[in-house]
Amino acid sequence: MVNAIKGIFISCDIPMAQFIVNLNNSMPANEKFIVHMLDSTHMFVQPHVEVMIRSKISEFRDQNSYEKPQ
Amino acid sequence: MAGEGDRARAPKRHKSSSKAAAVVEEEEYEYPDDFDEDARDDNEAKNRDFSKLELKLDHENRPLWACADGRIFLETFSPLYKQAYDFLIAIAEPVCRPESMHEYNLTPHSLYAAVSVGLETETIISVLNKLSKTKLPKEIIDFIHGSTANYGKVKLVLKKNRYFVESPFPEVLKTLLSDEVISKARLYPEESHGGEGFTISKSLGEIETGHEELLNRMELAAAAEDKETHSFEVDPAQVENVKQRCLPNALNFPMLEEYDFRNDNVNPDLDMELKPQARPRPYQEKSLSKMFGNGRARSGIIVLPCGAGKSLVGVSAACRIKKSCLCLATNAVSVDQWAFQFKLWSTIRDDQISRFTSDNKEKFKGMAGVVVTTYNMVAFGGKRSEDSEKIIQEIRNREWGLLLMDEVHVVPAHMFRKVISITKSHCKLGLTATLVREDERITDLNFLIGPKLYEANWLDLVKGGFIANVQCAEVWCPMTKEFFAEYLKKENSKKKQALYVMNPTKFRACEFLIRFHEQQRGDKIIVFADNLFALTAYAMKLRKPMIFGATSHNERTRILHAFKNSPDVNTIFLSKVGDNSIDIPEANVIIQISSHAGSRRQEAQRLGRILRAKGKPQDRMAGGKEEYNAFFYSLVSTDTQEMYYSTKRQQFLIDQGYSFKIITSLPPPDSGPELGFHSLEEQLDLLSKVLSAGDDMVGLEQLEEDSDGKALLKARRLTGSMSAFSGANGMVYMEYGTGRGKMKAKSKDPAKRHVLFKKRFG
Repeated sequence: MVNAIKGIFISCDIPMAQFIVNLNNSMPANEKFIVHMLDSTHMFVQPHVEVMIRSKISEFRDQNSYEKPQ
Repeated sequence: MAGEGDRARAPKRHKSSSKAAAVVEEEEYEYPDDFDEDARDDNEAKNRDFSKLELKLDHENRPLWACADGRIFLETFSPLYKQAYDFLIAIAEPVCRPESMHEYNLTPHSLYAAVSVGLETETIISVLNKLSKTKLPKEIIDFIHGSTANYGKVKLVLKKNRYFVESPFPEVLKTLLSDEVISKARLYPEESHGGEGFTISKSLGEIETGHEELLNRMELAAAAEDKETHSFEVDPAQVENVKQRCLPNALNFPMLEEYDFRNDNVNPDLDMELKPQARPRPYQEKSLSKMFGNGRARSGIIVLPCGAGKSLVGVSAACRIKKSCLCLATNAVSVDQWAFQFKLWSTIRDDQISRFTSDNKEKFKGMAGVVVTTYNMVAFGGKRSEDSEKIIQEIRNREWGLLLMDEVHVVPAHMFRKVISITKSHCKLGLTATLVREDERITDLNFLIGPKLYEANWLDLVKGGFIANVQCAEVWCPMTKEFFAEYLKKENSKKKQALYVMNPTKFRACEFLIRFHEQQRGDKIIVFADNLFALTAYAMKLRKPMIFGATSHNERTRILHAFKNSPDVNTIFLSKVGDNSIDIPEANVIIQISSHAGSRRQEAQRLGRILRAKGKPQDRMAGGKEEYNAFFYSLVSTDTQEMYYSTKRQQFLIDQGYSFKIITSLPPPDSGPELGFHSLEEQLDLLSKVLSAGDDMVGLEQLEEDSDGKALLKARRLTGSMSAFSGANGMVYMEYGTGRGKMKAKSKDPAKRHVLFKKRFG
C-alpha cells in the first residue's frame, strides 16, 4: 500500500532555498513545514504554508530594496 | 549612455514630464524608453496632471516647463539649452540631469544664491516666463516673490578694515536698526551727531557675461549703472552677533558678505599671478566670474566634480585677491598637494608659501603669504607643542584675505564654526565636489560660508572632454549556500556585513575583473573596501599591496609611486583613506567590494578618483580612442542588506546622469579552478575564518575625520599598545581603552620584567 502525502513542490534558487530552510528552523516543532529537501534548489513542503512563504519572501525582498522617496 | 541594462530594480524617477507631454503635446517630444511610467499612485497622478496649464503659441521654441510646485523641466535638445541651463543653474537646484531632460527645483536656498549673484526678483520671473512653454503658474510667481523678498538686500562689506552694513533700501536698514543687538553694535562716524542719517555712496552695478537675445532684459538689469547705497558702520567685535541676528530664524535678512579687496590698503599685498600656462577652462572661468562679479570678492561655495580642476579655481581666486591666503585641507596628503598646486599654477615663491601640519611647521617670510594646513590643526582644542602654538597665534592674529576651504562637505558644522571664529578672514571660498551630506547639515553651510555660487554639470564636462567618460556597473554576486545560511541565522547578526562581503562568489568576480582589466586592457585598478577584515583577506589572497589608516606615510608614498610608475604594480587595495584627496591620477578602474552603509558622498568621491583619467598614454592602448575609458564596478551580494545600501548610493550618480548597468553573469560559469575559492572546502574554510574572527575585527575602519561615518553607523574603536610586548613598562604616555574587547593587561610582576630592568624598580 502506498502512503501518499499531499504537499507543495517548491523550486527556487539556492539562496531562497536557504531562506526557506531558515524559516522552517525558526518555527516551533509542531509547525515545521518542510517534508523533504530534495536538493539545494528543490523541496517538498506542506500545503498550507504557501501564502505564508510568499509573504515572508516578499517582505524579505522589500527590506533589501531601497525606494527613492518622492 | 542612458537607458541600457536591466531596469528591474531601478529606483523610481520623477518623469512626470512624460505624462504631461503625453497629455498636452505629442509629436515633437520623443522621450527615450527608460522613463518609468509610474502611475501606481493615484495621488501622484493628480500631482502630475498638468493639462490645465496654458500652452503658449510658439511653445516649440521654448525649452522649459515650469510647474506650480517649483519643479522645472528643461529639454536638452532645444536650441536654447545652453543659455537656459546657465540661467537655471543660477536660480534652481538640479535634481536629476540625465541626457535628454533635466529636472530642477526652485527652493528658498537656490533663490538666495541667485539673488546673491545679483539677479533681481523681477528679472528672474520675466526670464523664466520667456523661457517657459506655458504661462507661469501664479504659485511660482508668488513663491519667487516670497523667497526673494528679503534675501540679498543687505550686504556686509569690509572696506579699509571697517565693517559696513550696506543696502540700497534705507527702509531695510531702519528695520535692522530697530533690533537691539544691531543698534548697540552700530558705530557712528565722527562728523554726525548720532542722528538717523545713513552714509550714502555709489557702488558699481553688476557686470554679467552676456546671454542671448531672449534674455536681453537680464543684460539691461545687469549693466554697470551706478546705484545708490546706504550704509552704517558696525563694531568689528560685534560682527558675528549682527550676522546672527540677520539669519532667517531672527530678522530674516541674511547678509551677503563681500570683500572690496582692490581698495583694501591696510592688509599687505601678496604679489602672485597666475602663470601664463595656466589656462582656465570655460566652466572654471564661469565659476570665478560668479565669485568676482562686481569687482568685489563674494563668499560662497563652488561645486565642481573631482578631477575637474578645483585647485586651479582656488589658486586663481587667491591670485586675484592678492592678499594673504589661508588654505584648509582635510589631511596631510592634501596639504602637500595644495602646496604643490599653488607652486604649479602661480608665480608664488617658495618662501611665500608654508605648510603647517604635524610633520611640517614652516613659516613664510615677509608680510604676506599663503599657509596651507588642515582643519584639525586649526580647530584642535588641546595643548600643542611650542612651535605649533606660535604658528597658531600668528594665524589667529593675522587678517586673512581669503579663507580657502577644500572638501567643504566633509567637515562637520561645529568644526567650521570653530575655524571661522578663530580666524578673521574677509572672503571665504568653499570648494567641494558634492553638496550632499548624510547628516543634513548642508543648510548650515549656506549661512556659515555663503551661498552656492556655481555648480557644474558632470555630463557637460564629460562631453567637453574635461573629465573621463565613466561606465558604471553593478555586479550581482549570488551568495553561496553556506554563506547565506549563516547570514540568515539570528545569532550571526553582527557578522552579517562580514558574511556578505566575504562571499566567495564576490571574490571570484573581483579576481576575474582584476585579471581582465590588467591583462587585456592594461588598466590601473583601485579596489576599495571599507571593511578592514575583508580588505586584508582579499589583498593577501590576491597578493596585491594595500593602504589603510595605519599604513605609514612612507609606505603609502612608496606604494603610490610604484602604482603610478611601475608596470608591475597595476592594482592596489585602498580603505577609506583613499576617499579623501589622495592623488592617484592614472587609475581607470575602480572596483568597490564593500560599501559604507549607503553614503552617497562616499560613492561620489570614489568616482572622483577616476574622473581624471582622460589622456591615456597611447602605448598602453590596444586600439584607438575608446568610448568609455573609465570603469566603476560595484560588487553586490544579492539578497542581502547590501542591495539596499547599494541602491541608496547610486541615487546620487543616477541623478547626475550616469547610468548603472547591471551585470549578473560574472564570473563566467565555465571559469573553474583558476579563480580562488573554487572548491567547497576552501569556501567552508573561509566561512569558518569569518565566523571565528572577533566581533570587533569585522567592523568598519574608523578614521578621525569621518563625520558621515559617525552619523551613519556607530562602530567601536579599540586601542592597544605594542609596548606591552616589548616589555617597555616605563612608558612616556599611556593609552586607555574603554575596557571592552581585548586589552592586554600590562603586568607589573617583577619576575616578568626584562633582565636589564629587573633591578631598577626595586
